[in-house]
Amino acid sequence: MKRLVTLALAASLVMAFAASAFAGATYDKVMKDKVVRTGIMTDSIPGAFYNEKKEWVGFDVDIAAAIAKKLGVKLDKVPVSNKTRIGFLQQGRIDMSVSNMTHKRSRDESIDFSITYFFDGQKMLAPKGKFTSLKDFVGKRIATMQGTTSELNVKAALKKLGDPAPKVISFQKESECFQALQMGRVDAWSTDSTILLGYAAQIPGKFELVGEFFSNEPYGIGLPQDDSKWRDAVNFAIQDLWIDGTYQKIYDKWYGPDTKYYFPMTEKIELWP
Amino acid sequence: MINHYLEKAWVQYFCLAAVTALLVYYFGWVFDFGYKFDWTVLYVKDASYGIVLGDMLITGLGNTITISLISSAIALGLGILFGLGRLSQFKPINYFASAYVEFFRNTPLLIQLFFWYFALPMALPEELRYKLFDYNYEMISATVGLGVYTSAFMAEVIRAGIQSIPKGLLEAAYSSGLTPFQALSKIVLPLAFRAIIPPLGSEFLNNMKNSSLAMVVGVAELCWASQQIESLTFKGFEATTAATVVYLSLSLTIAGILNLVNLKLQIIPKKNRTIGHLLADIFFWPFLAPLALLSMLSRNCFRRRTEGFNLTTAQAARKALLANIAKVFSLAWKGTFLAFLLFLIVMAGVGLSKFNFQVIWDNIGTMIYWRFPQGGPDEVLWGLGGLSFSIIMSVIAISVSFFIGLIVGVGRTSKNKLFFIPSTLYIELIRGNPLIMVIFWIYFFIPILTGAFLNVFWSATIALTVFTGAYLAEIVRSGIQNIPPGQLEAAVSTGLTYLQAMRKIILPQALKQMLPAIVGQFIAIFKDSSLAFVIGVLELTFVAQGLNNRLMIYPFEIYTTVAALYFICCYMMSIVARRLERKLSTDTFRLQM
Repeated sequence: MKRLVTLALAASLVMAFAASAFAGATYDKVMKDKVVRTGIMTDSIPGAFYNEKKEWVGFDVDIAAAIAKKLGVKLDKVPVSNKTRIGFLQQGRIDMSVSNMTHKRSRDESIDFSITYFFDGQKMLAPKGKFTSLKDFVGKRIATMQGTTSELNVKAALKKLGDPAPKVISFQKESECFQALQMGRVDAWSTDSTILLGYAAQIPGKFELVGEFFSNEPYGIGLPQDDSKWRDAVNFAIQDLWIDGTYQKIYDKWYGPDTKYYFPMTEKIELWP
Repeated sequence: MINHYLEKAWVQYFCLAAVTALLVYYFGWVFDFGYKFDWTVLYVKDASYGIVLGDMLITGLGNTITISLISSAIALGLGILFGLGRLSQFKPINYFASAYVEFFRNTPLLIQLFFWYFALPMALPEELRYKLFDYNYEMISATVGLGVYTSAFMAEVIRAGIQSIPKGLLEAAYSSGLTPFQALSKIVLPLAFRAIIPPLGSEFLNNMKNSSLAMVVGVAELCWASQQIESLTFKGFEATTAATVVYLSLSLTIAGILNLVNLKLQIIPKKNRTIGHLLADIFFWPFLAPLALLSMLSRNCFRRRTEGFNLTTAQAARKALLANIAKVFSLAWKGTFLAFLLFLIVMAGVGLSKFNFQVIWDNIGTMIYWRFPQGGPDEVLWGLGGLSFSIIMSVIAISVSFFIGLIVGVGRTSKNKLFFIPSTLYIELIRGNPLIMVIFWIYFFIPILTGAFLNVFWSATIALTVFTGAYLAEIVRSGIQNIPPGQLEAAVSTGLTYLQAMRKIILPQALKQMLPAIVGQFIAIFKDSSLAFVIGVLELTFVAQGLNNRLMIYPFEIYTTVAALYFICCYMMSIVARRLERKLSTDTFRLQM
């Protein structure tokens, strides 16, 4: 009898936990708790990284902070990686993911995205003076990072240029890709050009971006699936940042002409009247 | 009354079946995972990418098998070499072999792989480096790194196996006139072989599982493939399940082969032979038949036997000459080895002199505690990280898994199926997969089941705990089975219940014997905490990677320092383990007196 009671108690506890897992929409939860849990990368220069003082800084960090301020809530930063930035959203561990995430249709099946808050494209980073166009990379070894679409993009681009079996090596972290490039194991590293700029700037004068963009990489903020109120709130916040000049200020801080990571702004954020 | 029924086998099976059915029903139909399962991602051509993603798993499996086989061969060869080296009476060889084994056993495989891949090439001349890069350097560095790592464990197994042979056998062999080589090849090794095979088999299994780490140096193996499918489709559950099943299949295959080897080696009367022994005979016939034939031929061809006495003058002179030549050769070989050792030391000295020690000094604090206490309250322990995190994770994991291991281990030895079957499933499932898979499972699916969103620190710690619990359970089981069965019988006959007998009689003795193995497991956990870096835990490996990221031009210094930090901690713990072992054996010695 005692055992049956214990068993029933355990069962009801499990049931209770299960029920609470998915209660309420994100927008309501964020506004009630006054905290937005945000997934941000940790080794993506200059998007989000630890600086010399071990502070977590970067363009994405500032954007996330500005959005949180605009919404009137506190920002709770959660470190994510290329492997976890989407899984965390699906699980509900984070409320939004500001982690240089390209908005792709296949990804949109699992999560929702905000309007594009940053425009980037994929390029090759290679030692200075060795390569002049994308065609020069046919038959060369290229580094990419697993968990991103860079690998598929670069393979497709090289195949189009006549490389029957592109030699792409897939690493776990951006720092590993760069280090492989540095020691000569690969001839180039391919991913979003601002990330490449971020790493190239660590050793000035040695590496350069080569060729034209061969894929479009619009960054969207990752959001939980099917939560319109939350998506609208985030979209409005982004647009408001653009309108009142905060966005430009943050952009110039990281990608402006006076920085190590100069990247001219070429697109406008989608605005609604 | 209930106890009476629970002792019946059919009641136990019925209860297990009922619970299983309930679980299947609940998780299959009732529980809302918040996740849409789509198993077709594994075998249908994906519309977005135009490929069958399951093919990646097959290719990855091929790489895993290739790495495992080649590195096993490397490990076995080096293991034999260094295992015998540790038994040598020539002290320089003994010291060198011991240093090799201790160093590679006491640093994490992950750090070693990083070193082989990222640090070592930077130490080579540029021309040599690029020549090396013309080959598939990812596979080479992963295979060599894994082989060297596993060889250290195999060397230890071989040394221990040989030393378990009673010394009297060796003395008897020498007194019969056998040469050292003859004594080794005809007396010691055949006996030691039987003692060595089971633990050596475990090392082959560990080697296969460790190949999952090859992905950190860019190898597209099985674990990498499952991660890739998850990244491209966000169907992590399906991909991880597929990889788990494959790893389990590989583990069971290896375990099955090892079982056959054990059966083949058993010396057992004909009447007691089982179907297993017959299967073992059939399985090994293709290998052993040629050997038997070869042996017969060599026996016929080399019948002549020489005697060592009553020699003619010429024969005696020839024998003396041969002895002198052997002596000179031995001296030359020893001299060569000493020269080689000196060369290594000089090279190490030159390498160290080129180190940028300022970089190490500037960052040693970061590696040990990250940025404590400057971190904010939203970080675990206010920004503590690095080596401190590794230690804390390990201490928590070993403490909690001790109790898990105790319960599961006792369950494993129980006659009651209600405890035996679940315990066995847990142990085999966890031990059949690499730790990195367990980390991913815990990381992604505990939040789904419980709704609690853990910091990655706790995800990794729980994974380590669950993983280690299975290994400790095996240690507990073997410890319990080491206690003579008569003690349990005596306890029960004096009126103690099973639980009382276990708690008061068996476990106190078994736990004492287990202590060295438990400390050894703690060392393993501590090293394995480096794997938590793949999910972003701010432990030593992650911090080192971050430093390397920022510093960019000192990979050798960073990885050497990290290896040294791990080594210092692990080596100190292994010294503790050794002292425990001696302490316990002293008790045994006193009992004999």
